[in-house]
This record gives sequence, structure tokens and C-alpha cells, in this order.
Amino acid sequence: MVRVTSFLLRRLAQSVVIVLLASLIVFCLLRTGPGNPARMIAGGMATEETVEKIATEMGLRSPMLVQYFIYLKKVVLHGDFGTSFVRPKSGASAVAGGRADDPTRAERARVIDLILDRLPLTLQLAMMAMAIALSVSIPIGLFAGLHAGRWPDAAALMLSSVLVSMPNFWLAGILVLVVSIQLHWLPAVGYRDVTYSILPAIVLAIEIIPVLVRSLALSLGAMMSQNFVRIGLIRGLHPSQVIYHHAMKGASVPLLNMLGVQLSALLGGVLVVEYIFDYPGLGALTIEAVLQRDFPLIQAIAMLTSAIFVVINILVDLLAGLIDPRLEY
Amino acid sequence: MTVIDADFSEALVADEKELSVARRIWLETRKSPWFTVGLGLFVVLVLGAFLYPLLSGADPQVMHFREKLLPPAFAGGSWAYPLGTDQLGRDMLSRSLVGLQISFLLALAAVVLTFAVGAAIGLYSGFHGGLTDQLLMRVVDVQLSIPPIILAITILGVTRPTPALVVLVLTLAGWPTYARVTRAAALGEREREYVRAARVLGASDLRILGLLIAPVVLPPLAFAAVLDLARLMIFEATLDFLGLGLQPPTPTLGTIIADGRKYLMNAWWVASLPGVFLIVVLLAVNMMGVALERARNRVLGGL
Amino acid sequence: MPSDILLGVDNLGVAASIGGRSKVVLDNISFAVSRRETFGIIGRSGSGKSVLAKALIGWLDPALSVTGGAVSFDGVDMVGADAAQLRAIRGRRIGYVGADPTTVFDPTIPIGRQIAEKLRAVRPEVGHKEALDRVVELFETVRIPDARLRAGELPSKFSGGMIQRAAIVDAMIGGTELLIADNVTQPLDVTVAAQIIRLFQMLRNEVNTAILFISSSLPMVKNIADRLVVLEEGRVVERSTPERLAAHPETAYSQALIAQIPRIWSREMAHPAVKADAATVLSVQDVKRNYRVRNQRSLFGSVSIQAVRGVSFDVKSGESLGIVGESGCGKSTLLRLLTWLDMPDAGRISFDGVDLGKMSRNDRFHLRARLQLVLQDPYGSIPAHWTVGRIISEPLRLHRSMLASERRTRVTDTMVEVGLDPGLYSKLPVGLSAGQRQRINLARALVLEPAILLLDETLSALDQTEQTRLIALFERLQSARGITYLFISHDLAMVRRVCSRVAVMYLGKIVELVSNEMLFFAPQHPYTKALLSAAPTLEESPYARDDYLVEGEPPSPLLIPAGCSFANRCPQALPVCRQQEPPVHHLPQGGIVACHLAGEDRVT
Repeated sequence: MVRVTSFLLRRLAQSVVIVLLASLIVFCLLRTGPGNPARMIAGGMATEETVEKIATEMGLRSPMLVQYFIYLKKVVLHGDFGTSFVRPKSGASAVAGGRADDPTRAERARVIDLILDRLPLTLQLAMMAMAIALSVSIPIGLFAGLHAGRWPDAAALMLSSVLVSMPNFWLAGILVLVVSIQLHWLPAVGYRDVTYSILPAIVLAIEIIPVLVRSLALSLGAMMSQNFVRIGLIRGLHPSQVIYHHAMKGASVPLLNMLGVQLSALLGGVLVVEYIFDYPGLGALTIEAVLQRDFPLIQAIAMLTSAIFVVINILVDLLAGLIDPRLEY
Repeated sequence: MTVIDADFSEALVADEKELSVARRIWLETRKSPWFTVGLGLFVVLVLGAFLYPLLSGADPQVMHFREKLLPPAFAGGSWAYPLGTDQLGRDMLSRSLVGLQISFLLALAAVVLTFAVGAAIGLYSGFHGGLTDQLLMRVVDVQLSIPPIILAITILGVTRPTPALVVLVLTLAGWPTYARVTRAAALGEREREYVRAARVLGASDLRILGLLIAPVVLPPLAFAAVLDLARLMIFEATLDFLGLGLQPPTPTLGTIIADGRKYLMNAWWVASLPGVFLIVVLLAVNMMGVALERARNRVLGGL
Repeated sequence: MPSDILLGVDNLGVAASIGGRSKVVLDNISFAVSRRETFGIIGRSGSGKSVLAKALIGWLDPALSVTGGAVSFDGVDMVGADAAQLRAIRGRRIGYVGADPTTVFDPTIPIGRQIAEKLRAVRPEVGHKEALDRVVELFETVRIPDARLRAGELPSKFSGGMIQRAAIVDAMIGGTELLIADNVTQPLDVTVAAQIIRLFQMLRNEVNTAILFISSSLPMVKNIADRLVVLEEGRVVERSTPERLAAHPETAYSQALIAQIPRIWSREMAHPAVKADAATVLSVQDVKRNYRVRNQRSLFGSVSIQAVRGVSFDVKSGESLGIVGESGCGKSTLLRLLTWLDMPDAGRISFDGVDLGKMSRNDRFHLRARLQLVLQDPYGSIPAHWTVGRIISEPLRLHRSMLASERRTRVTDTMVEVGLDPGLYSKLPVGLSAGQRQRINLARALVLEPAILLLDETLSALDQTEQTRLIALFERLQSARGITYLFISHDLAMVRRVCSRVAVMYLGKIVELVSNEMLFFAPQHPYTKALLSAAPTLEESPYARDDYLVEGEPPSPLLIPAGCSFANRCPQALPVCRQQEPPVHHLPQGGIVACHLAGEDRVT
């Protein structure tokens, strides 16, 4: 257990550094780009002095690193990710910039609340997509991998080539047209109940399936040509023992790694898909935040996503280490 | 050749085993029908995308307000607009092809840049090892932990996107993977006997890297980079679709499809047909990728 | 007694087809193995012996197919058998052990569990715990130390010799009637290979199993097989017994095979004399090198691997010094230090009296021209994408400024000198034989006319004929140019032929450094004697295995016990050996030995 604990401590420490650096980069990028947040707050009609006053109040005139540390201090000490530039506390509609002395400014929504509000729907979508993707790609990948170099392998490769070539935004449009508009099978726009997650989840799943199928088919195929698998029958093992106890076990490690990598693709996909389906999750929130130049929100989402990414990768490595004890923790 | 037993491979494959692995994979790839078909489709479409708008004289920007949302020729429209027109009466075929051109060119530029940056850093890191290597790999970790789409948003979302910025975003998203793969290859190559022989002779690091390691490590990677074109073209189109890419009036596949979504009910072709072009190009690239992958398995795994 | 025949092979033929070409791999093979008999098959690599082994158990590569004949195992036709029939035989009644035991087991599961799984697959009536106990019991039988502990370890924790033992247990555990052992000693160090042979002798005498022992080396088969066949190009060329074959080989092929087996004691050797009064070219004084590796069991800790633990020797100008030792003895690290690819933690290496550690970078660079290295692997050690001329001219480009035409002349001259066709100058090395490639290697090392040449297992990848030619070339170069050689090798017979003095390394130290004659006829250190007893020759060795071969394996360089590092395996170890590091004794006849048993007063 010392080994695992030591691994976890080391990796967590590394991750904290990574997430901090990543968020610093995003922080700097957001603040060096054009688009003046103070102007956004003050509104188009405000005078230069007002804008300048707000900017100073917001700390925008301090050196970048100082700004970042102030931000970080709040995040770490109070879990305070700041308040949205534009969203009022109730959350429903955006305030399109008010007067400089807008009394409601204190009433702007806290970023953390905005995120926590949207997160469950996105998690539901992501998990549904993962479930669909796994239940489709595992059987196909196994079948292809067990017949490496023969037609099932070629067919699976063909299928994944076609799927991987379809941009999600295009596919989403086609599915909405056919499944929702023409056939009325599933709802497509907005969110009222869980059925609203199905179509977006399918689009997301189709994006991951080809990668998983290929990864599984390849690694299982490679496993099947390993000597210890081939010699299993000669040693007197039953074919099913060879496949299930040895070949599939070995093939699951690369699959697991691939799942970890696919997560970042899934994050990108969630954004696009939620936007298209007008699905009120974190992805749509991100796009809205970008359109409104809502920096605190973008900043927090970026930090959150890189933290999720890093944590998932630790979990993947941990699991892989349990499956294959040779892997160094 | 682990599968075929030693006795047998020596007897039969002796003359082939000394060809470099990369070369054997390439020879094997070329034999595959997947590769032939993929390459053919790719060349035809890319050439078409560049030649058609030049030769047909159809202007993707000219609006014909009386001829809005005309259906494609095969769905009852006229041959004046083979793929119909959009909401402003512009020719869909030439718009799609110009969009394809842009997507292709941006992705190509990004692939070249990604490869150059990733390979240089990977080679240096893998060969040099030590603290530099550790630092560079942590940079890779940091870069990888920022999802590409978030990076795109923070760079493109807050400013007016230019082609150079789009290429920069695509490159930032891609280089860490290349750096990692190149590093691993260079690390493996560094321990090889011929490198040791060169070191004992007193060859400098730069000489070993440039003359010995790079020629071995880079060709397979360059091939993989060409196939990465597909991934980057999708990413570029996605950015356009989200409004983070090149701005109108430049016709990009992403923006055409995004605009067309409003007319899904009555003019399905606007949102769907440009996508078909993209899909076919991607499919062509992916088919070449499949051929390569299968060839590599055959050569390395003996399947 | 026809009923006594367990395995009958009758006119067996196997052909390969790759890319439309068809090639006969085995032709008209016939032999029979009786119950409890040990039958040998010998043949060079490429003779088809591994294909034969696999054909017997129906495990041919898809590109290979049986073209005729029959294989019958206790009445069952193995060629035509279906999957169910094969399953009833393979692993249960026939066990198979191959040349590469490291790939037999799933790397992610402890070995004991895998063997127990196999036992339960072929003998479903055996309970889980019972199976594991049986594995441990057999581990003890094949002398795997700490059997119960080892059974719970992953395959990667096993050394080559130990994992081969485990593979043998795996093959035998089902109550096997026939054990097919295909080249089982090939990847192993000499003493470990000799231990495995001894294990097979024991199995042969104590277990009721027939053994089909396949090897490329007659000395390996000699002590085991009752009868044998010689295989050449897929045909049986001679049937004999080991003794008869060794004494009276009938066919030309067998004669050549026997002639190639190295001799150590029975042939007069004209090896170079010890040059006591020559100047010292290379001097190594108490050199140490440790490597630190991360300790997985703690948060930040690391452990130290002691690769070289205080090595001293001098190399005189114009002599040939040999350094022998088995895997893990520190040879490779020492070589890295001698070629300055790595720096010692302690001690000094000096060249022509100048300490390398005190030399400037620039001076060291210039010195490299005087000390050259020829590596072992003829394929890996030259860049495949360079032409032969480019490869050989590289040292000149680095160290000499000369006109391209001059350079070309120098390169072609050197090529001629080492016996390479100058016509190869602008060719890529693709398609060249191992011997030609090793000559390219040698030419690259010689083109700068170095004073000293380090040869790292340079000859081990070559066949005997090629070795003889290159050794002649070395001798010619030495007498013409006075080159000094340092041979690093595990091959005692080769060292016997070329070296004037020999150092024996064990676990990072030199345990004995004496003249050629002394080493082979009056060795002092028990480890040297063990090495000599394990040498694969057909000769009557003065060091019989039963008396001198040691059991076990060297301790891990991570945890070197106190006292003499050989004490845990030494048959004559005294209590003092486990407490005190043995002192270095200077022998009256010249040379040194590090052993408590070989003090001045104890020399026999």
C-alpha cells in the first residue's frame, strides 16, 4: 500500500502544479487579449474615467502575476471563483451591462454557483455518452481484435474510419433533421427531462466509438499475437481462459489509457453538442461566457476542466497499475 | 518477427529484415487497396477544391437575391447551381469547395508547424534527458491538461480570429502529442549501439541528433503527421462552426453549416452537403491511415 | 517393442509459403522416441529444428503447413487431430519448453498462480490450494530458492535461469509423458545453462518422462540424450548416439559441426605471450561506479546499484587482455567507463599515464582517436541509412582534416585491410552478412589507427569460420601495428585463443587476473573453476561439473551481502568468507586472486 499512497501523493502534488500553471496560462491569455472587461461592466455609454475607475477597483491595473495571486488566494482560501461580469444572481437572463453605479452589481451571480448549477446536466450527458460508447465499442472491438487481420477487423476499421470522419456538428444537424424533425422520435432542443439527453449523447458517443473500437481491436489483436497468449493452448489452457484471463486483461490497459485521452475530446464535444442542442449544461455556459467575454466564468471553467482532466488521468494510471502490477507507480 | 520462429524467419526473411522498419511499413502500406483508394479520393477532391472555383468562374461571394435557397440539381434544381444556393443566393458548390480549400490549407499549415515544433522539442528532450527533459515534459503535461477547445476559446473567443491565430491554436493543441511520441522514439534510439559507437568516436550531440537519430525517428512520424490532417481539419471546421474561426464573408465549411442550420426544415442541403465534402476528404485520409496502421501491425506484430 | 514407442515421426514434410513462394522447410523426417527415453536433435540455427518441434504438437505458424508424413503420439495422429483431441494431449501429456521462457507467462500475474491455473485446466480434479502447493513443491524440486515466495512473484522478477526452471515446472506439472525441450539453454549464461542441463539429467533419471531435447550444441546434448539425429537444411543427415557422433562423425556436415565446437584444453594454443616489461597504455585504479534508481517502496527514496565495485588492472602496450564474466558482472558498465561515456564515482582511469578525469574536454576528444571500440551487434552498431564508405569515413571526418580524395583512399585502404570489397564503398549495408558488417565495424575502428582496441563480444555473433578469420586478422594487425586489445567476452574458448592474460569478473569486481595458461590450467578462484566446468566443450574437462559447478545465482547488485560476494554460492566457503571481503593476493607465478581460500600459503 506504501507504493500506492506514495504514487497518489506524488501525482496529486504534480497535478496541483499542472493545474495551477494551466490556469495561469489561461488567466494571462484572457487578460492580454483585446476586449476590456471594465468596459463590459461599465457598459458602452460609460465615460473613460468610469471605466478606468472600475478597472482599478477590479484590480485590472496591477501587474498580471499580482492579479493572478489575488485571484488564486480567493480560490484557495475561500473557494471563491469570483462573480460573473454579466450574470445577475437569479441567473435567468444576462444583464447587458448596466450603469457604473448599478446597485445590482453586488448581486451578480457567483461563478461557482453558475457552474454547480449546470454541472449535473453535463455529467449526466457525459455519462450517458460514455455508456453508449462503451456498450457499442467493446463488443465490436473484441470481435475485431479476436479476428485480427481478417474481415471483422477490416469491417471494424472501415466503420471507425467512417465514424471518425463525421464532424459532430454536422452529424448533430443530420440527426436533428432525421430523428427529431422528420421522425419525431426524440426531442432535440433544450432540456425538460432525461430524454433530452439522448440525442446529444448519441452524437458524443459516435465521436468516441471509433477511437475506442480501434484501440481495443489493435491492442487485443496485438495481445493475441503475444507469445504467452499463443502458447497458452500449448500449455493446456482452455481457449476461453486464454482470451478472458490473459489477452483481454492485457488489452484493457491500453483501452483504459485511451479512455483517459478521449476525455479531453469529450470535453470539446460536449461544448459543441450542448451548443447545437441548446442543452443547458456547462458546455453551453462556456460558449455563452465566451460570447459575453465573461472572464471569471471562462477562467473557472478552464481551471475545472484541466483539474478534471488531470484527476481522471491519475485514476486511469491507478487502475492500470492494479491491472498490470508491472507498471511503475 | 516474434511470431514466426527464429529458424524459419532466418531461412526466409533474411533479405528483408535489414530494411529499416519505416521502409518496410511504407512498402507494405503502398500495397494496400485502402491506401490506393484513399489517396485517389484525396487527390481528386483537393485538386477539385482548388481547380473548380478557378475554372468554372462561379464566385462563392456573389449573391443572387432572387435565387435564394435553390435546391441542388439532383433534387430538382438547375445545373446553374449544381448544389443549389444558400440563404443569400450564393452558389453552394463553389462555397463548399472554397471552404474545403481554407480548411485544408489551415490544417496543412498547422500540421507542418505541429510536426516541426513537436519533433524538435521531442528530439531534444528525448536525446538530452535529465532536467531539461523533465522540464519540457512537464510543459507538455500542462499543455495537455488545457483541453484544446478551452485553449481555442481563450485565444480566439476574446479577439478577432485571423488565419495565423487559428493555425496557432491548432498547433498549440497538437504539439504535445508529437513531442511525446518523438521523445519516446529518440529515447529508444539513443540507447542503440550505433549511437554508442558514434559517441565513442567523439561525435557531438548535435551531429548525432541530426545525422543519425533524426533520419531514423522522423520519417514514420512525418507520415503519421500527414494523417493528422484529418483531425485538424475537423477541429478547424469546429472552430468555424462555433464562430471562433475565420469570420464571414470568408466561406468556411463550419460557418456554412452553422448558417444552414437555420434552414434545416426547408433547405436541408445548405447544412448537409458541405459536410459531405469534408467527410469524404477525411475518409480518404483516414483510409490511408488504416492502410498504414495495418501495414505497421503486419511488419511489427507479424499479424 | 513397437508398443514402447511413444512418439513416432514418419516421413514428415513441412513447407512454407510466403508471398507465393514455397520453400521446403522439413523433408522426409523420420524418428521414434520410446517411453522414458531421452532423444536428442541437433542442428544449426536455420536447420528447421524449431519448426520440427512445433510440427510435433500441431503448433505451426499459419505460413507453414505439413505436406506429408505422419506424427503419432501414443497412437493419436497429431497432424490430423482436431482441437479437442489436441487439447487432451497438449499441456497434459506433452509438455513444451521453448528457447524464450520470458515470454511464456502473462507478465501481469504471479507465476505460481499461472502454473496452478494451468494445472487446474488440465487436471480439473485438483483443488485450488492443492494446485498451488504442488507448484511450490515442484519449484523446490527444480531448486528455485524460496519456492513459496517466488511462486507469488511476477515473471519480470525472475532471472533467465529461474524463469526457465519455472517454465519446465509448468510443462511437467500435468504429469507429462513427453517433454519437448527446444533450445532451452540458448539464452542463458554458461553456468546457468550448465545448471539447467544438470536439471534435465536429474529429470531424466528420476521422472518417468520421455524427453525430446533439441539444441544447436552437441556438448549440451551429450550428457543427456540416449540417441540423437542431426538435422541439416530440414533433413536428417545422421543418426547416432552422442558418444559415437563425437568420436566418429560420419557425414561431412557432422564432421564440420564437431570441428566447430571450441576446444580449450586439448589443442595447443599459440596465444600471445604476457608482456611484462612493455609500457602501460591503459591503467584502471580502484574504479567504482554506482547508479541510483528510484525506490518504489518509499516516497522520495532511491537505492543504489553497485555496478562496478573497485576494479584495478593495467593493460600493457601490445598485449591482449581478456575480461570474462556472466550477465550482470559489471562488464558493460566497465566498458562505458573505459570509453568515457560515463565517469567513475571513485578511482581513476589513465591513458598513457594521464588521468582522464583531469583532462580537458578537448584533450579527451583527441584521445578518442587513439582508443576505439568494436561492438557486439553487427546489425545494431552501424547506421542502416548510411553507405559503407560514409560509415567508415565518419571517424576521419571527426578527427582529421583531409581532402575528400585522401579520405576516400584511406577508407578503401582500410576496407582492403579488413577484407572488405572496396566496391561496397557506396553501397548501403542492407543485405551484407554479419561477418561483412563486423568488418565494417572493425574498419571504422581501425581507420584512425588507434593504439588500443576495445572489443565488446565482437565475435560472438559470428560463426566459427568467420571467427577464425577475424582472429587471424587481429593477430596480423597486432604484429604489424602493435595494437593493444582488450577483449570483453563471456566466451572462454575465444579468450583462450586470443588473450595473453585474462581477468574474471563477478558482481562488479575482478576475482582473478592471471595469465592464459594459469587461468585454464591452474585457476585459483572457485568461480573461475565453476566457469571452466560449465564451458560447453566435448573435451574431458579437468573441472568436472559435479565437483565445481555452483548452484544458484549471483546476489542482486542492490543488496550485496557482507564478506565475499561469491560466498553464497561457493562450495568451499568458510565462515570468514561471509564476514570479510577477501584480500587481493598476488600470486607467486604472477597475477592476482581475491579469495580467502587462495592466500599465499594455500596456493595448490
